Amino acid sequence: MTISAYWELDPAAEPQRFEPLAGRQLPGIVKSQRGPALNRFDYYAQVGSAAAQAGFSGLFIRHREEADESRVIAAAVAREVPGIVLVPEFPASVGSAVYAAKQAVSFQRSTRNRLGWAIAAAEGAADRRRSGDYIGADDLGERLEEFLTVARGVHAAQPFTFEGRHFAVKDGGFADPLNRADFPQVFLQGEDEEDLEYSARQADVHLFRASALADVSRQVETLDGLGKRTGRPVAYGLLQPVVARPFADEAQRHAERIGAPAEALVGSYDEVAARLADLAGVGISHFVFRSLPSLEEAYLVGQHVLPRLRARLSTLRVAA
Amino acid sequence: MAIDFYWRLPTHGCHSSLRTHDYDRGDWSPLRPGNIAPGPASDGGADQFAYIDHLSQIAKAAEGAGFLGGLIPSFPGTEDPWVISSLLARETSTFRFMLAFQPGFGNPVHSARAAASLQRLSGGRALFNIITGGGGPSQLWWGDSFSHDDRYGRTREWLDVFRGVWGGGSFDYDGRFYQVENAGLAPLLANEEFPEMWFSGSSDAALEVAARHADYYLSWLEPFDQLADKFDRVKERTARLGGEQKCAIRVDLVARPTEEEAWREVQIGFENVSEERRRTRTRGTDSVGAARQDALRPADATRYDDLIVAPNLWGGFNLLRGGPALGIVGSYEQCAERLDELIALGADGFILAGTPHLEEAWRVGEEVLPLLGQSGVALLQAAE
Repeated sequence: MTISAYWELDPAAEPQRFEPLAGRQLPGIVKSQRGPALNRFDYYAQVGSAAAQAGFSGLFIRHREEADESRVIAAAVAREVPGIVLVPEFPASVGSAVYAAKQAVSFQRSTRNRLGWAIAAAEGAADRRRSGDYIGADDLGERLEEFLTVARGVHAAQPFTFEGRHFAVKDGGFADPLNRADFPQVFLQGEDEEDLEYSARQADVHLFRASALADVSRQVETLDGLGKRTGRPVAYGLLQPVVARPFADEAQRHAERIGAPAEALVGSYDEVAARLADLAGVGISHFVFRSLPSLEEAYLVGQHVLPRLRARLSTLRVAA
Repeated sequence: MAIDFYWRLPTHGCHSSLRTHDYDRGDWSPLRPGNIAPGPASDGGADQFAYIDHLSQIAKAAEGAGFLGGLIPSFPGTEDPWVISSLLARETSTFRFMLAFQPGFGNPVHSARAAASLQRLSGGRALFNIITGGGGPSQLWWGDSFSHDDRYGRTREWLDVFRGVWGGGSFDYDGRFYQVENAGLAPLLANEEFPEMWFSGSSDAALEVAARHADYYLSWLEPFDQLADKFDRVKERTARLGGEQKCAIRVDLVARPTEEEAWREVQIGFENVSEERRRTRTRGTDSVGAARQDALRPADATRYDDLIVAPNLWGGFNLLRGGPALGIVGSYEQCAERLDELIALGADGFILAGTPHLEEAWRVGEEVLPLLGQSGVALLQAAE
């Protein structure tokens, strides 16, 4: 089984790094030449570069209302960092599905098809109103499905016509050469049964929240069952916080310092790789890893955990 | 008073010459020897360059040649302005990205956040060309079924919200098209300069929204007296509302060392246009601007000079490439004089273009812009 490993960039995290308004000021005794020539995007580019150089297949860019827009970050990083896939997360409330698809195509054409689309989980009602999104909670799933249907539709066919409750297109569809680009791989997430049903119909990759092996295994089986009914393949992924060090006690100490969440995998490089191989064994093929600080931890995971994980999986494959 | 000069990024491929009509830069025509970005590789496929690499060259030429930045147009067959700007911001230094955008296509709060991010990424180099017209089948292609005047109402509300949330705080809005509650950009995003708004549209509904929200009112080139009249109306309308409206012109140039060489480009280009294409009119749009341009071009023109509407003004550009009909053709000095005249009749800014966009950015920047303000009309105006 081939594993895709993504590193997560949270634009709202670590504001002390290159964030002009939040950075720590140097005392006067330190001669400084930091100025407007440097900005927050230098940090995003550096984390992206770290992910590429440390062997990740992609950078997963979180949707954060309080920080920079993920698709703007993705483009800025893509132009500078070769090789990796960029997976910006954004909500289905961004606006026109046709326009979103058109932007995706332009990104694909400019980066040799290195874009993924992660649709963010819907927010609560008050947050949605803050974002100018006034549709009812009961309509969110339907809107998500129409958004993806229209975005894929205008990319796949011409003329494309669709009359939905949230989106309508008449005689649409992209012409050559725009229709030659690949449509981005679509990542959906969620644990509810409804989420899984939408994923069975619309996701290329479904991302689960990290949890115990048995829970992950059960959810994979549920989605597998739904997928058999729709007859389209869905890959399974995990949003997995991780803290790995040469020794488990060192990992534990760092996890306490950064306040790693309960579902984090914390341990020695070998221990963490072994747990990940177990997860791969129950069907997880896409891992979105995260830790803080995101630059340094990308190197630790990329240099020490990913090679161990890949070695374990290839041994398993040989044994099988 | 200093005038803003922008260039234009061709987002639908480019031609290496105005004389031929096949795109040979980008992948809008079949890949052939001599094509650029992508070019043919030795294995018969495409080389490693994409059209964005050519756009990058044009943006760098424009900033090097003295332009403030460039307009990035958006149509069904083009690359997307938001993506281009985000891709190229870090490899350019001063180039300002003027994004053509139809407000209905994005949630205004999300768009404000993306625009603020673009400002942070580029050091405040984003601005917008707000477009509302078009209409007809083309709007339905985009998934937009609002009527012409409704679209202007929506544009106004969209800009109300976009502006309302920009500086942070808590903003409520209860419009016909948009509602928000307790909205505002987060503190890290709320310190960016509000992007300039360049506004297009020739209808009454457009002029009314422009008066309220536009920093620049942008028009295609029209016969000079007609344009002077339009600018007067726009400026007067805004003055009545207590504001001041700047005006700008989007125009193509064919500038050459001599007038004869310039007309030769146009003549050869015209003669390479098929009879059928010469008779084609703009169809399927409710755009008032497009209709005004079409009226400039007699369908029975058989010679390029049938389309000369005034000294150095040629009405057949939309036969040679997409876009407006009227453009300026002449020697470097004549081009500078016509631009001086346009400044005298009220232009505060320009979006210039020429084909091929890369080489012509350097040519116009090096040969025409340095001559501005020195012709008789400019000196006369300065003396007044």
